[in-house]
Amino acid sequence: MMSNKNQLNVKTSEDMTATELNIEADVVIIGSGAGGGISAYELAKAGKKVIILEAGPFVPSEKFTEMMAVSMATMYEGEGAQSNTDGDITVLQGRCVGGSTVVNAALCFRTPDYYLKKWGKEFGLTNLTPEVMLPYFEKVEKNLGITEVKPHETSSGAETIKKGLKALDIPLGLARRNIRDCAMTGFCFAGCKTDRKQSMMVTYLPWACNHGAEIYADTRVTKITAENGTAKGVNAEVIDPKTGVTKTRLSVKAPIVVLAAGPTGSPLLLQQSGLANSSGQVGKNFACHPSLSVTAIYEKKLNDFHGATHSLFDDRHTLPENGGWIQLNAVQDPVEASFMAEPGTGKPYVRYMQNYPNSTRLITLIHDKNVGEVTMENGYKEIRYQVDDEDFEAMKKGLKENARILFASGAKYLYLPTYDTQRINSVDEIDSVIDALENESARYRYTSFHPQGTCRMGADKSKTVVNPYGETHDIKNLYVVDASLLPTSIGYNPSETVYALASYIADHINEANPG
Amino acid sequence: MSDINKQRRQFLKLATAISVAVASLSPMQVIAGKITEDNKMDATEHAVFTKMLTISLPTEGSPLIPPASLPVIPTIEGALLAGMPPHIRQSLNQGIHYFNQGPLKKYGKSFNELPDEQATAFVDEWTSSNKAPHRALAMGLKKLTVLAYWAIPDTWTPLGYVGPVSEKWKLKYRGVTPEPKA
Repeated sequence: MMSNKNQLNVKTSEDMTATELNIEADVVIIGSGAGGGISAYELAKAGKKVIILEAGPFVPSEKFTEMMAVSMATMYEGEGAQSNTDGDITVLQGRCVGGSTVVNAALCFRTPDYYLKKWGKEFGLTNLTPEVMLPYFEKVEKNLGITEVKPHETSSGAETIKKGLKALDIPLGLARRNIRDCAMTGFCFAGCKTDRKQSMMVTYLPWACNHGAEIYADTRVTKITAENGTAKGVNAEVIDPKTGVTKTRLSVKAPIVVLAAGPTGSPLLLQQSGLANSSGQVGKNFACHPSLSVTAIYEKKLNDFHGATHSLFDDRHTLPENGGWIQLNAVQDPVEASFMAEPGTGKPYVRYMQNYPNSTRLITLIHDKNVGEVTMENGYKEIRYQVDDEDFEAMKKGLKENARILFASGAKYLYLPTYDTQRINSVDEIDSVIDALENESARYRYTSFHPQGTCRMGADKSKTVVNPYGETHDIKNLYVVDASLLPTSIGYNPSETVYALASYIADHINEANPG
Repeated sequence: MSDINKQRRQFLKLATAISVAVASLSPMQVIAGKITEDNKMDATEHAVFTKMLTISLPTEGSPLIPPASLPVIPTIEGALLAGMPPHIRQSLNQGIHYFNQGPLKKYGKSFNELPDEQATAFVDEWTSSNKAPHRALAMGLKKLTVLAYWAIPDTWTPLGYVGPVSEKWKLKYRGVTPEPKA
């Protein structure tokens, strides 16, 4: 059955009856998240027949449960359990129609000019100047309703932390989000049930479908095909998610292939296909903005259960030369709170959870070096990444600042997100506790929301995978449009960067392939 | 690669397997897999999780719901273990058995046989151990157990947390945003 719900032209495994299906199109797009969705619309609007293949399921918003564990199991890569090889960094990515845009926090930052200039100087991306990119930022901001939070779009935790920022004379950063009429449920990470978050599922994808685009969910691409150095299409399997059984083998012939499977999926697909890797850089240069949440306990109840998921930040130190970290507030449900700190086994843990209504958290997220790699080993994905020693020192500085803000906001004591118990009881203890932390595996409860960098963009084909216009150096008409492109980590949430780059690359594709 | 490194690697993989297991939990068991002879809990696993649950959530004297009154162990088994890929399930099984034998040298008993006080001390020792696999196992198994407890919505009531709100608040669906005009 074809579903027109939300005006999406989606076929799922349930709709598939044939064991083989061959389709011809002008463009096949692998992935339906930020890069895939925007590419689909811009190319379909230009008159191209577009097919979008999404490995994850189609979950209509009315079926969103507003329960994190269920959402992770149904809409996240690896059922929310994707992690680095050591298992101490959870790497969160969406895996559903709409991709990570369905389950992210909707925070948007323009790419800082600092990085656009750095990429021009160090990677030959002299085409991506602040002046060139400005209209692309403005366009996606308008289309996705990206605006600063309004005064009422906050949370009790944010209002409390705001007092700490003011007490320390720290300028208040107000979040910009792609949300219209925020209902402040606080369930951004579980999917916005009433369609206020402007994910691809309620914007660019249905708009693409208005121009004839078709979406196949439950469809895993197994190979990108090419002949004589030019992309020719893809082979894929439509898999019943309940049984794991392949229902249909799908072949799409298309002269343009757009890869938007995300920073862990895209490099693996290129590796599996044996394409675009003359540089040897496919899958390398993985970065992920590791983050740690400090939990603060207050005398009074905050009931920081609902509200704007993120509403404020402190980015005075976000550029590398200023330290390389950013602080972000966030609401959290009891399931998340239950593992964010280690107060000690037994009674201390019971007291900690009893104090959940009296708690909030402040996240420290770091700009990190591109020191990781994504590979396939023995049939399973491996993300080989450990926090670099210098990056860890930046994290420690960020955690100190984080702790000062929380104490200035009235916190009685803090828990660091460690495996053993690390409690800070006063401002005087901050330096001694945090200075003692060492960069070791299986010590810290890291979360990453921003994998990136695994198909680097640049002018030098011996050092990068993709050229300055998003096309792979090796294979003509094979484009990459997700966060794999980023030559360096940017320290800020990269979603708007991906939105803008995808728009820019789509314009290039249309110019290079008129008609 | 040395034996020590191989062992370290094996248990780091185990830690990953446990992380996978933990994050896959479903509060409503909507993603429960089918429990089979191959993936169901063995007696040791059942005993380890039961002991871990008892020592992690001693709720007497607090408003929290006693874990024994909730289907925590079935949640772990049905919503988690049954849905795991076989190779991860096997690694997890090995890790749980290794963990259970951990206290033998110091305490003379396996974890599931320890008095609660000693079991609590053992878990805290391993979470602060110098050995990464010990930290990973202790933290992972504890996290798994408490997550299974907190994933059951009944546990939220004493905290004042009401869970999903869109229907309670009668929020209207906004639907698809109109396509921008050219």
